[in-house]
Amino acid sequence: MDRPIAYDKLAREDRWVRMRAREVAELKVEQGLPPFPDLSTRDSIRERVHGILVGEMQAMEGAGRTVCDFPDAPWEFTMDMARQVWDESRHVEIYLRLLEHLGGYPGEFPETTILWRCACAEDAAARVAGVNRGLEGLACDVFNQLVHIARRIGDPILERAVEFVLADEITHVRMGSKWLTKLTEGDPERRRKAIEFQENIDERFNLGGIRQDGDHEAVSISVATDVRRMAGFTEEEIERLIKTTQRSQAY
Amino acid sequence: MGLPLTGHVSVDDSARLIRNYRYAVERAMRALGGWIALTPDVSAKLLMGRHVWDLAQHAEAFGKRLPELRAPAQVSEPANERVVAFMDALEEPETPQQTVERLVGVYRVLKPHLRASYHDYLLRANAVYEPPTRRILSRCIDDERRHIVAGETIIGHLCATPALTARALAWQRRLERLLAAAGGVTGDGLPPSPPGAGDAPMEMSDDAREFIRLEAPMASWPVPQDLRDALDSLGSSLLARNRAALARWLAAGVSPDPVCLALGAATLTSHRLVAIARLGHQRLVKWRLEGPDASVTVLGRWVPGPEGWRVVTLDVARIELPGLAEPRR
Ligand SMILES: [Fe+2]
Ligand SMILES: [Fe+2]
Repeated sequence: MDRPIAYDKLAREDRWVRMRAREVAELKVEQGLPPFPDLSTRDSIRERVHGILVGEMQAMEGAGRTVCDFPDAPWEFTMDMARQVWDESRHVEIYLRLLEHLGGYPGEFPETTILWRCACAEDAAARVAGVNRGLEGLACDVFNQLVHIARRIGDPILERAVEFVLADEITHVRMGSKWLTKLTEGDPERRRKAIEFQENIDERFNLGGIRQDGDHEAVSISVATDVRRMAGFTEEEIERLIKTTQRSQAY
Repeated sequence: MGLPLTGHVSVDDSARLIRNYRYAVERAMRALGGWIALTPDVSAKLLMGRHVWDLAQHAEAFGKRLPELRAPAQVSEPANERVVAFMDALEEPETPQQTVERLVGVYRVLKPHLRASYHDYLLRANAVYEPPTRRILSRCIDDERRHIVAGETIIGHLCATPALTARALAWQRRLERLLAAAGGVTGDGLPPSPPGAGDAPMEMSDDAREFIRLEAPMASWPVPQDLRDALDSLGSSLLARNRAALARWLAAGVSPDPVCLALGAATLTSHRLVAIARLGHQRLVKWRLEGPDASVTVLGRWVPGPEGWRVVTLDVARIELPGLAEPRR
């Protein structure tokens, strides 16, 4: 089997339409719409859930590739990644069913592949930094807020399911922190590059000021500081992330 | 009188068998993990995703047992070169159209053999001094039984045509020959399959019937009638390569020529909508045009306006050639 595979080999059923994230955002802005779904209406919640579903699918595919691509990595690393594949495959099922619950369908919104592209990094340390810490950190922010919104709109199915997924994601972030340290032991250059990769991803997913430190009701994506602490991000890292979100930029 | 103390394998042989099992299990686990991204069908993706972790736990349990048998921990070892060749062949199918082959290799050939081999060893492993190994084998047998049932359910679902069924069988036979030539994953021959493969309950979060349900295509698209009419009309015009009729739906400045050119001379006899995605007020729409020669996917972006719905971009997203019948989506 080719290791790693080219990112354009990601296989999809016909029902999905793929489009670059930037193009999706631009075409929405042209229509006078926010580039990223806020959580103000049931429709926008459904669109957000669809985006999460796509992310879960790519997270499953990415973790699967990591199991496949690094046969020489420590066995415990493979075990953690295999566990993550299982978790993500359950998350895919959960979000497929939540989408159904919200009256949507798979493919209702275009799929963007930023997460998958990050999961194609050639170095295992960069993958865990970028995906487990960068993107799953973002998942912690998004899911924490979604649990809050579900509670507010009185949707216990959404609330409970997402809360359990969030618990898994916290575990995945912890795995990311653990393996970023272990895989780069004695190799500060490798560590520096992996962290830089993660910081680029963090910056990108601030989405031009859409992610912010603020109340769940007031901002589109609120930084889940408590959850991030629980997941093993240091105070310094959380502070730095919040600082980067304040550097507002045009998408 | 207690259980007999008769033994059939030495400590060294037992460690060797466990390394052989671990080799096959580890490779299958890595293959399943890598295939998820290469497999379009959600039912198969979910199946593989569920079982990567079970296989990792089997490899882990075998690997941990090794130091208890005077051998280094977490080591995999093929029984012989032919086992390597068998696993290489099993890993071969990588194209999006080969989901059936991927599943057949793992769920119809390797896993039934592993289950039989574990069962065979379990029958021979001494009940007084080999319980640590017996417990691992029992757990693996239970999981494999469940996996085989789930895998067979998805294979049955994907083998939607006689051609696919025949392809699946041909691939199965090829791998079975390679496995037999290797003498199974232990090199000691192919033990008979134990009874009861088909009755494993689907309950451990890998209910294949649910995976299949989640893959079902939309029965009807939630689109307004005027758009539905426009989509039907455009689909028929594409099929007929009727430039004038096509132009009726194209926004000013959009030419039908590039798509007509890309469709070429292929005979296309049917069209159907396969995807409709919302992009704000606009719609991204995918048609699949099919015929004996080829299958073409066309993607258009529709924008509502005072004149009704119009296409602002129209592209051929994919052309597939004959002979490679695809699993049902
Ligand atoms: Fe997840
Ligand atoms: Fe995750």
